[in-house]
Amino acid sequence: MRTIHYIAALAFAGFASSAMAQPAKTECIAGAKPGGGFDLTCRLAGNALHAAKLIKDPMSVTYMEGGVGAIAYNHIVGTRPGDAGVVVAASSGSALLIAQGKFGKHDENAVRWLGALGTDYGVLAVAADSPIKDLKDLIAAFGKDPGAFPVGGGGAVGSQDWMKMAMIAKEAKVDPKKMRYAALEGGGAVTNALQGGHVKIASGDASEMIALHQDKKLRILAVMSEKRLPGRFQDIPTTFEQGYSIDWPIWRGLYVGPKVSDADYNWWVDTLRKLSKTPEFQKEREARGLFAFDLLGSDYDKRVKADVVRFKALAKEAGL
Amino acid sequence: MPELAKGQRRISRLAAFFLMIFAILYGYLGGTVEYSFSSDPIGPRGFPVALAIVLFGLSVWYFAQPGQSESWPDRDGQIAAITLLALCSACILGMNFLGFLPAMTIILGGIARLFGASWPMAALSGLAQAAIWWALFGPLLGGHLPKGLLGI
Amino acid sequence: MSFDFLWQGFGVALMPQNLLIALIGCFLGTVIGCLPAIGPINGIALLLPIAYTAGLPPESTLILLASIYYGAEYGGRISSILLNVPGDAGAVMTAIDGYPMARNGEAVKALAISGISSFYGGMIAVVAMTFLAVPLSLLAIKFGPAEYFVLMVFAFATLGSMVGAEPVKTLIGCVLGLMLTTIGIDATSGAYRFTFDQPELHDGIEFIILVIGLFSISEVLLMLEHKMKGTLKPLAVTGSYPSWSEIRYIWWPSFRATVIGFIIGVLPGTGASVASAVSYTTEKRISDRESTFGKGDIRGLAAPEAANNAAATGAFVPMLALGVPGSGTTAVMLGALMLYNIQPGPQLFVEQSKLVGGLIASMYVGNIILLVMNLPLVQLFARMLLMPNWILIPAITALSILGVYTAYSSVMSVMIMFGIGIVGYILRKLGFDMAPIILGFVLGKVMEVNLRNALAISGGEYSILFASPLSITLWVMAAMVVILPWWRRRKRAAPPGLPG
Repeated sequence: MRTIHYIAALAFAGFASSAMAQPAKTECIAGAKPGGGFDLTCRLAGNALHAAKLIKDPMSVTYMEGGVGAIAYNHIVGTRPGDAGVVVAASSGSALLIAQGKFGKHDENAVRWLGALGTDYGVLAVAADSPIKDLKDLIAAFGKDPGAFPVGGGGAVGSQDWMKMAMIAKEAKVDPKKMRYAALEGGGAVTNALQGGHVKIASGDASEMIALHQDKKLRILAVMSEKRLPGRFQDIPTTFEQGYSIDWPIWRGLYVGPKVSDADYNWWVDTLRKLSKTPEFQKEREARGLFAFDLLGSDYDKRVKADVVRFKALAKEAGL
Repeated sequence: MPELAKGQRRISRLAAFFLMIFAILYGYLGGTVEYSFSSDPIGPRGFPVALAIVLFGLSVWYFAQPGQSESWPDRDGQIAAITLLALCSACILGMNFLGFLPAMTIILGGIARLFGASWPMAALSGLAQAAIWWALFGPLLGGHLPKGLLGI
Repeated sequence: MSFDFLWQGFGVALMPQNLLIALIGCFLGTVIGCLPAIGPINGIALLLPIAYTAGLPPESTLILLASIYYGAEYGGRISSILLNVPGDAGAVMTAIDGYPMARNGEAVKALAISGISSFYGGMIAVVAMTFLAVPLSLLAIKFGPAEYFVLMVFAFATLGSMVGAEPVKTLIGCVLGLMLTTIGIDATSGAYRFTFDQPELHDGIEFIILVIGLFSISEVLLMLEHKMKGTLKPLAVTGSYPSWSEIRYIWWPSFRATVIGFIIGVLPGTGASVASAVSYTTEKRISDRESTFGKGDIRGLAAPEAANNAAATGAFVPMLALGVPGSGTTAVMLGALMLYNIQPGPQLFVEQSKLVGGLIASMYVGNIILLVMNLPLVQLFARMLLMPNWILIPAITALSILGVYTAYSSVMSVMIMFGIGIVGYILRKLGFDMAPIILGFVLGKVMEVNLRNALAISGGEYSILFASPLSITLWVMAAMVVILPWWRRRKRAAPPGLPG
């Protein structure tokens, strides 16, 4: 099922160069349809790189739809492992799929993770007229009668949206399998179903819900992050503030093939590091509803691998 | 006429038989889909199994009451169809190795030949069309077509 | 509600710069639409960065994108009618009567009729949107999983009209179409169904792969067989423009189809393919007295064409009134707004009235441009068919291969398309229609997913399917579609002595 997280999906912009080996031709693979999250990750990364004159020719985008990026992953590992000019878009959703063994035959060690460029955060929301005002209310009410709270999310059982709510269910001492969970087609469908009263809780991404929250069409109960988010989110408490150590960043980043040389890999990492400091990049990223998430090179690599471990544990706990 | 009707009945019986086998196979695969759990009572197996049962029932109906519009290509037709499909499959499977231009030249030239062009005309139109499509979907629209041997 | 936004909008849309942009967009969209490889989403994704970099103001960018979207709805029919290769999802039903018309030597008429009914559907839908956007958007919200499921039941009820001389074949085709939708990752449980460890199958069989395989590859094989038998003759004529009486003749079919298409288009859970399918089957049910549908009936061509343009317009309603996308393409457009720091949301209509007004006004303008631009071009396009078969048929094959390859960059997907083509050829030789397969496929996924979501929400209680007034209305409509023709036939048959 193709989910178009139309805002979160419009990922970010790119990087900057150094004196090291710059690939002659650059290409970015988006493992989905044009217009999806991977596409905009690629496209804007490429645009920014070119605009900042860090690459000579514009970066081209190749679409390789299938398996939420699994085909692209297999392709880069199998067919073009040493192509230094090719980067591939990834997200925390990719790590979740890897953790569940749903990413073809390769694991997280099969590619070289370059860096994250930005992140969105998970949120939970209820209808604007709901008596539930904060996360504590929700957990108490949900714990008492999970059947009264159908949940809507933009992915299947085991997806990020399902996981977010499964963690809340755990806090409420409810078996995640007992959740009445409807797997809807993307974030827009989730907010529609919440407004229409078809579901009582919506699990989704911050950038998709904020406009509706501000218009009082729904109420975001908590942003699933450690620190309070800036801007339009400054009045919305986080899960940590409400006493629950649950976070859910939805990062977006890039990787290259496993046989790309260290010199080329470092060139990409350096380029990303430079670009992440330019004001243009920061402005572009914010315009797309993404927050800073500067993890590059080995830090990013560690994060991806830690996430895979964490997701594996979560999936096991949830009984998947 | 009776001969033809008999042949037709045989074709439709055979088709119905294949559909039954397919229904059983599909139903078996659908009924054994692995999943940890589903949040709905039907689950991922329900629909496929129901469809398999319906298809099986319909194929029994089809078997019992053969159709009136079946026909089958004659020998020449079969050979031509198999040639076309074999040519296309071979070139498409080899497209990553050969490259878009050579593979498409062979496919399009071959089809032109099958549809009555002379050998030189077939080769020429195959090459010309391959080049036009390559230019349109490659450089002009910014698509990525397999490079292969020629490196373009 | 005041309509100042509309006057303001016309002021924006009629500015020379924006008129030029609309003209360019319509032309590009037409081209993009007729190539099966790239649909409006690709075209828009391709041009959005260019428009942004060129520093166009947001309303101009939106006008450009909308006119591409519009143009593609017009263009999608061209390859559908001429080559039996549908250019996009909404143009599949167009091929069912359009292609036979072209083969009968009426290509010009078919293209012109489809252009006129597209204009008709698009125009009425824009008017409806101008006045009803906000109340209609509430309808979109009222549709939950249970309602979508019952809507699909209604759609299947209209399918009764497709049952021809051999009902068992129609039913088998429909079940095969439904079966194809079960391939891929199950949307509810995440289970892998019939994927055989092939990542190419994880997302299921893509509509465009199915359609190109079933329609064009099987067509090439059929033509080859005719060639071997010596019965394949190149076309000698492409016919003439439709007469006024023919244009009047499609008036009501187009109107009915527009209403159906627009409403289905407004619902975010369904799209142009469902809209054109349901309007076709409904029209067939209403008007197909001499069973001419599927053999080149102009009403069978006009209905899906009017419907898919109306649906494309309807998809803007949730986008503008609610800030949620009504289709993949409108999702990309919402993304475009974000580039300009405009937050889509329920307040868009109020806060960005210049933008929204400009967009809506540009749809009026765009439809007129497209009609005027398309009608003279029709003869040019139709002349393509006069090319010898050894040029035309390789071209159909090339378009089919490229259509799949450029979308998925995968040789495997092209092979899947050929496999479907072979099955399609065999089924056609056995006397099966392709239309029921397509209809089963279009409706199947929406039906299964929504039934299961509805039951997940209700905790297994089937009563949820009858819980809202909306779903009860839809049940009644479905029952009427089944019972009325039967009842009418009985009534007609009852007094046998009366003169007919």
